[in-house]
Amino acid sequence: MNHMSVVFSKVYLLAIISTAYARAEEAKISFTQEIRPILARHCFACHGPDQSQRKAKLRLDTRDGAFSDRGGWAPVVAGNAEHSGILERITSTDKDEVMPPGGPEKRLSPEEISKLTSWIKQGASWSDHWAFQKPVNHQLPTVKDTAWPSSPLDYLVLAKLEANGLKPNPLADKRTLVRRVSLDLTGLPPTLDQVNEFLNDTAPDAYSRLVERLLASPAYGERWARIWLDLARFADTKGYEKDRSRPMWRYRDWVIAAFNRDLPYDQFTRDQLAGDLLPGNSADQRLATAFHRNTLTNEEGGTDDEEFRIAAVKDRIDTTMQVWMGLTFGCAKCHSHKYDPISQTDYYRFFAVFNQTADADRGDESPFESFPTEPQQAELKQIDRQISQLQETLKFGPPPRSVAEKLKSGQDRKNAILAECRTPVYQELPEKQRRVTKIHQRGNFLDPGAEVQPATPDSFPSVGGSGPVNRLAVANWLFQADNPLTARVAVNRHWAAFFGTGLVPTQEDFGSQGQPPSNPELLDYLALAFRDSGWSMKSLCRMIVNSSTYRQSAAASPESLSKDPENRLLARFPRNRLEAEMIRDSALRVSGLLSRKMFGPSVMPYQPEGIWRSTYNTDKWQTSPGEDRHRRGLYTFVKRTSPYPAMITLDAPSREFCNIRRIQTNTPLQALVTLNDAVYVEAAQALARRMVRDSASLETRARISMGLELALLRPAKPAEVDSLTQLYNDQLAWYSQKPAEAEKMATVPLGPLPQGTNAAELAALTNVANVILNLDEFLTRP
Amino acid sequence: MNDYQAEGVKSVLNQTRRHFFAEAGMSLGSIALAEMLSGKSAQAQAPTQGNAMSPRPPMIPARAKHVIYLHMAGSPSQLDLFDDKPELRKYTGKPCPDELLKGKRFAFIKGVPNMLGSPYQFKKAGQSGVELSELWQHLPTVIDKIAVLKTVKTDQFNHAPAQLFLHTGTNQFGGASMGAWATYGLGTENADLPGFVVLTSGGKTPDAGKSVWGSGFLPSVYQGVQCRSEGEPVLFLKNPEGLDQQGRRRTLDTLRQLNEMQARAVGDPETVTRIAQFELAYRMQITAPEVMDISREPKHILEMYGAVPGFVPESDSAADPRVAYKGTDAQFANNCLLARRLVESGVRYVQLFDWGWDHHGVSPGEDIVNTLPIKVRQIDRAMTALIKDLDQRGLLNETLIVWGGEFGRTPMAQNSPNQKFPGRDHHPYAFTMMMAGGGIKGGQTIGKTDEIGYYAVENPLDVRDIQATVLHQLGLDPWKHKFSYQGLEQRLIGVEGKAKIPPGLLA
Repeated sequence: MNHMSVVFSKVYLLAIISTAYARAEEAKISFTQEIRPILARHCFACHGPDQSQRKAKLRLDTRDGAFSDRGGWAPVVAGNAEHSGILERITSTDKDEVMPPGGPEKRLSPEEISKLTSWIKQGASWSDHWAFQKPVNHQLPTVKDTAWPSSPLDYLVLAKLEANGLKPNPLADKRTLVRRVSLDLTGLPPTLDQVNEFLNDTAPDAYSRLVERLLASPAYGERWARIWLDLARFADTKGYEKDRSRPMWRYRDWVIAAFNRDLPYDQFTRDQLAGDLLPGNSADQRLATAFHRNTLTNEEGGTDDEEFRIAAVKDRIDTTMQVWMGLTFGCAKCHSHKYDPISQTDYYRFFAVFNQTADADRGDESPFESFPTEPQQAELKQIDRQISQLQETLKFGPPPRSVAEKLKSGQDRKNAILAECRTPVYQELPEKQRRVTKIHQRGNFLDPGAEVQPATPDSFPSVGGSGPVNRLAVANWLFQADNPLTARVAVNRHWAAFFGTGLVPTQEDFGSQGQPPSNPELLDYLALAFRDSGWSMKSLCRMIVNSSTYRQSAAASPESLSKDPENRLLARFPRNRLEAEMIRDSALRVSGLLSRKMFGPSVMPYQPEGIWRSTYNTDKWQTSPGEDRHRRGLYTFVKRTSPYPAMITLDAPSREFCNIRRIQTNTPLQALVTLNDAVYVEAAQALARRMVRDSASLETRARISMGLELALLRPAKPAEVDSLTQLYNDQLAWYSQKPAEAEKMATVPLGPLPQGTNAAELAALTNVANVILNLDEFLTRP
Repeated sequence: MNDYQAEGVKSVLNQTRRHFFAEAGMSLGSIALAEMLSGKSAQAQAPTQGNAMSPRPPMIPARAKHVIYLHMAGSPSQLDLFDDKPELRKYTGKPCPDELLKGKRFAFIKGVPNMLGSPYQFKKAGQSGVELSELWQHLPTVIDKIAVLKTVKTDQFNHAPAQLFLHTGTNQFGGASMGAWATYGLGTENADLPGFVVLTSGGKTPDAGKSVWGSGFLPSVYQGVQCRSEGEPVLFLKNPEGLDQQGRRRTLDTLRQLNEMQARAVGDPETVTRIAQFELAYRMQITAPEVMDISREPKHILEMYGAVPGFVPESDSAADPRVAYKGTDAQFANNCLLARRLVESGVRYVQLFDWGWDHHGVSPGEDIVNTLPIKVRQIDRAMTALIKDLDQRGLLNETLIVWGGEFGRTPMAQNSPNQKFPGRDHHPYAFTMMMAGGGIKGGQTIGKTDEIGYYAVENPLDVRDIQATVLHQLGLDPWKHKFSYQGLEQRLIGVEGKAKIPPGLLA
């Protein structure tokens, strides 16, 4: 695998920075960054790509349109603001003339008008929307502080910081780093042992070796699968009214395994979009196609299956475009896109590609295939052996009852296994049954328009090769060298996973309505490096976490706060609240409860009574037995009409549709979850017991210090221990008077106290642990 | 996004993205942090600025501060409750004319069904003389406060998509619900309670699941919070067993001390915001059980609603709740009373769902001669009391009440082969809804359907008009209350903006 060397040789770096990076002059207006967004916001709705809405046959989204001769005048005359028609109309005081129409609140701001004016005066340079042009290699900029950067990526960050008069932070301390990078790469905090191993490793490459250990950990796949499963709208039920269960967990496990074996992003994509069309495809590749079978199935009585089959196909193409190209394709269902060059015809041509699969909103979810796991395969083999042995005995006359019963039970077990792993898959219709696709006028499938043939959108490079334009062709098209978006969108998603915000903050929209990248050169650099690595996602992660930008401290100086309050330039590392699943996993991990069992059917941890009350569905939430209660959050059963309350409160989506980014909130209801949910109460009880068990002495302060260290992975500060010891003493006094309360606090729901322990002590320590597990520091990635 | 539209999002971002020194004023976190760093009061305070749920002024003059939306999930029969059709009775048992079937899709009707007139008599009620079915015993006494809208149309004829369409403006998942739009625009008046509360009865949650009160593309802070009139009123509100409220206070004091040390050390305003959220959670623990405890109401008020504190109907534990319904089931009544208490305490939007109104007539517990009267008994007294009670407290003026299903029911009987009782299929073309309070002109009927109640013939209305009216009465311009998402200016009434305030509806 071709990956970036970590400790970058400064000499080598200097050598590749051959010429100074030419930064644009401050006063020069950028068409891409400043002008196009103004035109898109104010003009494109009537003068954009949507022909049916276009007024006065004028287009302002293309160079030809904007500079067109309209019989004696032109909307834009380069270098001549007085003769540019758009400025005249925009600044007109005549209410019938002024653009855009619709009253004063629709008008452009004085700042926008002045930008437009300057741009025209500066020569009105025009380029197509940045995201629709291929990423290009930029020369690395020179920087003043050559000691700070440790990778090309850092040069690109630092140049921007220096241009804005900012300095990056120094590197974070080792304890912070190990907690940060473990959470980011594996979704889990490190154990104390892992922390100590890293602290004691004084070799210069200690950090990069830590990174390698984390990338090789099976937990890496679980962490990154979590992100992908939001995009894949993975859930354990079908959605809509009845919302019955549907076994999709084999797909979830495929995703985890794919990340762990660093399946290159192009293959990862091809398998999911078209695994069934690959020549000589494997079971694993067919299983991957369940990606697009995560769409909803409507089993409500009296529904038209064709209506919901079409809804599923539309969801698949919207999802495909969102996930891989960062485009909001969905609006072209009803009319041509108002802002981006996607026509309604484009939409239904693309629809035609995905309209040829055999699934059809059926209750039985056909087509499907059983994908037994390795243990299941072993068991199936064993059952088959038993069955054939039993059948041997049948040759010698009528079977005794016991044999018949054994045969039946063997067959039943076999069927049960095959049903449990039976997963909906993609299957292309045979040639004779292929569907004709027509445009759905105004998005209504009952109102068909012209027939269309399968194709990719016109304004993007066309599909290479001469074969049919099917799903496989589309999957390959996404990775053609001239596709401008796939690599950028993927690296942006990774960047956002580490830094909280993407280089393009609107991860879901790289079109003209989205926000421009904060550092376009960096985005392109990462995109090309990702491609050149052979689309290795682990290499991409490695490149990011080994950078100084990632390793810098999170301390917020007043200067960097005031100059860059949103931290778009990254003069400091952004602290972020842990995601829903990470909070759960962290609490279970530090308390010692976490099960590291991987894979398998989804599980049901504690959930309050009476949450599931779906219509015409008698499924019950039954708390999983044994360690299944303490599995990582990504294994929690997702019922779409009734998602797990603690998760949605902490901003997890309900998985009914593709969710590109979780918007983080900070609410009192979240505080109630981590204070009172049985999951966190049990974790506090277990942490309290661990404080007693692992502490060096019987002293209260030692136990409390142990608890803080277990959770925060740093030595406790005396002031913290003082404060918690006071709490402990107060609560101990109270619980000593209230043995029944003490018993409950220390044991419900975790279970009986270990022998020789004192209920009042453990109850008071549980209160202490409850505080520790709610600390801002515990809930935040440093 | 213009400045107004961005307000709700900005406040979320202020909290979540450390928008440190916002131009309009520093966020809560930064103010408190500044105080903390300067050694002044380290008391965490209730968020007054920069909080996503803090009250915001309306865009246009508001006629209502609160909404109570009573949704009858499954969709009651307008033909047996509101829209008397003497002509239809004459055709009972006769085959449906072909022109009503041609080109139409039905959920369950196949072939040619027979017409079904209502078995119920209708009477004029109140001074206004609005016609009501004999099934209503109490509603006639408040009819002069109510506008009856007889010609509402929807695009959807299956439950889940129709409920989504009504509440979120789209039949797909992912839209933001009306209550979310309301709190996104206006925040709420009482920070100690959720701003958007959902109460359910009838033994099931609505067909489309919790997405009907979801926040969709809006930040999750605006999603509805399901509360209960029995048991723990808000999920996770109760302290763990063995910890009383004083003990909780004690732990939170320590938590605050430690979090304040952290805020000073790291300088992240988000930490201060988090401190405030724990304090809010504590106050919610005190306030919510008080507000949600309907047993604090005097006897005459409980009787007025037919409420029974702590009531758990038999139907709740039945596999099919519908067969176990009783007219005396008090769950809906409890929820109505609770809705009044919530509104009185400043909650912005209260959404009730009562399940069990899908009366096809195919199996027991879902027909118009046995089940419909039981369901009406469950709600009639309670919603009448709700209107009277709000009125006597001077709250009806500022509280908009909306009542209805997700669609209506057909003038034809359903003709399934296993038909056991009279029942009707789903009918999207014209159905009845009610509105009262909050600037609505009561004692009137709006719209008229044809002689069999199939289509609107006068004043056709649309679900979009209901959405527009709700926002409009709250002081949110339905055409301008938007959110940029996926390259579109999303709004409740849809991107096309085809909606109107029904003429004559407003006082």
